[in-house]
Formats: sequence, structure tokens, C-alpha cells
Amino acid sequence: MNAPACDSHCITCSDEAVPMTVRRVDGDRGLALCEDAAGARSSVETALVEPVAVGDTLLVHAGTAIAS
Amino acid sequence: MRFVDEFRDAELGRALSGEILAAVEPGRHYKLMEVCGGHTHSIYKYGLDDLLPANVELVHGPGCPVCVIPMGRVDDGIALAHQPGVIFTCFGDMLRIPGSDGSLLDAKAEGADVRMVYSPLDALRIAKANPESQVVFYAIGFETTAPSTALTLRRAKAEGVENFSVMCSHVTIVPPLRALLDSPDLRLDGFIGPGHVSTVVGARPFEFIPREYGKPIVVAGFEPLDVLQAVLMILRQLSEGRCEVENQYKRVVPYEGNLRALEVMSEVFELRPHFEWRGMGFISQSGLKLSEAYAGFDAERRWSVPGVRVADPKACQCGEVLKGVIKPFECRVFGSACTPERPIGTCMVSSEGACAAYYNYGRFARDRELV
Repeated sequence: MNAPACDSHCITCSDEAVPMTVRRVDGDRGLALCEDAAGARSSVETALVEPVAVGDTLLVHAGTAIAS
Repeated sequence: MRFVDEFRDAELGRALSGEILAAVEPGRHYKLMEVCGGHTHSIYKYGLDDLLPANVELVHGPGCPVCVIPMGRVDDGIALAHQPGVIFTCFGDMLRIPGSDGSLLDAKAEGADVRMVYSPLDALRIAKANPESQVVFYAIGFETTAPSTALTLRRAKAEGVENFSVMCSHVTIVPPLRALLDSPDLRLDGFIGPGHVSTVVGARPFEFIPREYGKPIVVAGFEPLDVLQAVLMILRQLSEGRCEVENQYKRVVPYEGNLRALEVMSEVFELRPHFEWRGMGFISQSGLKLSEAYAGFDAERRWSVPGVRVADPKACQCGEVLKGVIKPFECRVFGSACTPERPIGTCMVSSEGACAAYYNYGRFARDRELV
């Protein structure tokens, strides 16, 4: 059961992260709706990289943006 | 895609390969360790080892968090999953790691409510949607993943989600590196440093490697050109008699790390006095547990877990693979009794594990190393 993260990487790997583009920002809750290269969308925790704006590219690991 | 395509350029790759060839001294053997499983995966996915001269050997390090989880910890997770009223959540690869009596997937088949999640935030959502159940998140990972767990716990505390708890098996990268450097088994010439761990901790924590052990380390990204460039930077340090921390992955890694991530981690976690690593034994101050401020969310305090140390299966040589002492195909059970479909050891479970990378990319033997 490989996780469906990008390029067949395992999502558990501590050292793998996926570039995603911000589509919508929910600043009050510290979340952003992001889209990966394949078009899959997910809600991402943005506390570590705020402020973020629509169109920004974030490096996302386990649902959290770790770099912008 | 920006930041990806330009680092996969074949022409530049060939040019780097030529520069690497020019940088090696004939007759000298170079043994470089890529610490991180993500690098191992990239190396075999893109066939990067074939672009290196025969006297540059890459050995694989302990940087796959699934692979380093010892059997006893898996058993502890399974024991929690079997508690009545518990929804047990974890990342996908954790499900298949064999414990001493089956895996979490087996526990699910036996009726335990085990669910795969992609982030700790998903686990928190499950907790909020199921207030009548206790939701446990099995947290694993190095410093890249730990902030994600920490932020989720901070959120759970702020929102008062009392049916959520975490079984914390987070680990830190520096203590196992020190253990490897102290090990007499291995003589390394330099390190390819972990890219995304460094996004969080920065490159500074690796300064002890050149300072105390006299070895170069280059923090590197995961695209093919990143890895090749890091190899070249290490070789140049060696040929010029330098040894320092260099940052190849500057487009993502700040030298000081992500201060907000470090802050939330220090609020939520504290170091365990010691933590067991598969194949490497107990390493002091290498694991994280929840701090007193978050003790109420500690699954190991809500329930008692067996906490029994279980020896690795005799046939499995994951420990030697994780330390870079043997190559995966040198393990007695590689590709025969142990395959990704029916793994015996953790290195075959995770796609970042060295054994799975070798198996999936057809590296059943290394002719090049025999030349």
C-alpha cells in the first residue's frame, strides 16, 4: 500500500515534501486550501509560513506547510 | 512545474556527472552516506548511482522514520488499537510494519478500528466527528513531521478536543548520526544531509560533523541535479582539504531553520531520556514525548501500553542496512522471504526504505560494486 502522494513517495517519510499552490486562504483558522501538481486539493496548516496569499507555492509535508 | 523541472535537466545532469568524474582522485575510494530515505529513493528512481564513477560509493542512512521503529513500539500501537472505543489513526506505511504478532493491518482485519490518515490534522477531524470515540494518532517522523503533530496538538488544546490523543514516536536526526559516527563498523568520507528535516532545524545542528568528526556534510534537495550537485560539493571539499557544512538546498533551507516550527516543537515536546531504534538499540535523547503542558493528550498516559522490548526477527538485517554496513541485496532474506508484499523488516515496508528502493528499481545485485 503505497501512499498516493506525489511520485509514489511514502507520506510517512520524514524528509519528503510536496510543492503545492495556495488556492484559498482561511486566515482565521490558520489553514489554506492548496492544490498539488496533479490537481489534488487539500487543507494545509499554514502557521509556520504565514502570511500566505493565493498563488503562493508552499512546500507541504503531512498537511503542514514547512516552507514557502 | 517551477522548482522541479529545472532540477531534472538531462544536459545539466551529464555536465555534473563529468565534473564529478574530474573531481575524484583515481585510486581513492569515496564512501558517502545519504542520511535520508528520500535521497535513497531519488538515487534509484533516477539511476543516479550509474552517473557516478565506480569509486564513489553511496551508502544509505537511518533517515526513514518507518524503518527505525522497533517491533515493541508496533506492538504498543496494536495494543492501543485493540482498546474498546478507540479509533486508531496512522500514516499508511505504519499499517504494514510487522509487530511480533501481526501488523496494524492485521489488527484492523480482526476488528480494530484502524484508519489511515495523511496528516495529524485529519486525525483531529476524525476525533471531532466521533465525539463518542477516543481517537489516537500514532505520530512518527523526524523533525519534518514533528511540527505538524505539534500544531495539531496546539489546535486540539485550543479547541478543547478531549477525545484526541497522540502516541508519540517522533525521533530526532542528530543523535543517530552521532551514533553512526561513533560506530567502528563504518568509515565514511562525507554526508548528503537531509533536505526537509533541515527546513525545520536548519543546517546549523550538523556543524558537529565537520567540527568533531572532520567529515563534510552538504544539505541537499531531492531532485536529480540536487543530489549530483551535493556529491560534487562533498568531493570538492575533500579534494580541497576542507570540511564544513554546506547548503545545496538554499532555495528551501534557511541555515537557522524555521524558528516558528522549533518554537511550537519546544512547547509541545520534550526529549525522552532514551529511545530504541530498530537495529541500532537505545540512543539517548533521540526520541520525543509530549511535554507536561500536553500530558493530557498523551495516549501512553491514558492507557497503559505493554512497552515490551521485542528483538528483531533473526533473519532480518535491517539494522545493518540502516547503518549502511551492508547493502540491501546482501541481506539473507532480501527479495526472497522479504518483499514489499510480505515484508519481514521495516526497510522493505516503506517506499523510502533502502530495501524497497533496491527492490522496486531492480537492484538485486550491484555489478558496479564488484568491478
